[in-house]
Amino acid sequence: MKTFNNQFGELEYDAKHVILFPEGMIGFQHCTKYILIDDIDTEPFRWLVSLDDSELCFPLLDPLLVMEGYEQQVLKTDASVAFVVASLHELPERSTVNLKSPVVIEKNTQRGKQIILEDERLPMRYQFLKSPQTGAGAGQSC
Amino acid sequence: MLILSRKKDEMINIGGTVTLKILDIQEGQIKIGIDAPREVGIYRSEIYEQILRQNREASRSDKSVVARIAAHLPKPGGEDAMRRDTN
Repeated sequence: MKTFNNQFGELEYDAKHVILFPEGMIGFQHCTKYILIDDIDTEPFRWLVSLDDSELCFPLLDPLLVMEGYEQQVLKTDASVAFVVASLHELPERSTVNLKSPVVIEKNTQRGKQIILEDERLPMRYQFLKSPQTGAGAGQSC
Repeated sequence: MLILSRKKDEMINIGGTVTLKILDIQEGQIKIGIDAPREVGIYRSEIYEQILRQNREASRSDKSVVARIAAHLPKPGGEDAMRRDTN
């Protein structure tokens, strides 16, 4: 068991929890080791936390929560799991997820990659909350 | 920047593993064929730049803002991640 400190406090993790991103996340090629954590205050968001840079973490969402059928479009097999990267804004309706470029993690090998999908209809900034009242599933692309 | 002139059907080799071929030249647009090893990522630069910007924004997410947005979404349990309850 190892420990790591960042904005979530002290995190304990096993070597088996480490997810290797050989190419890093796009724009962050120098950071290749991550762990995936949940924080009760921010569920259902999950956090991809860099072990190379304690300042670096990405909030992720299960694509099921924002678009039906998306996961099947991204994953060819169920040996992997897909997440979308979220950019969050003070105004909920201005918060977006990137449907163009999901994070795919292979379960058996614990290897991850941020892929870029060819489908031009997929927006990089998909507003997944229309307004605080309407809740999830009322997304609009922008 | 290295600048080379090429005609239709001529090629450029980069590092022995990547080959670019000029397939077609039309007014204001050229069509390029690229052969590269699988592990070499090939992206339209403007798309790559936009994703990079979006990643930078995402990586600066403030936990309190995330918590507020999270309140608008259903709360499923995560099984394959480490669980950390801060309460």
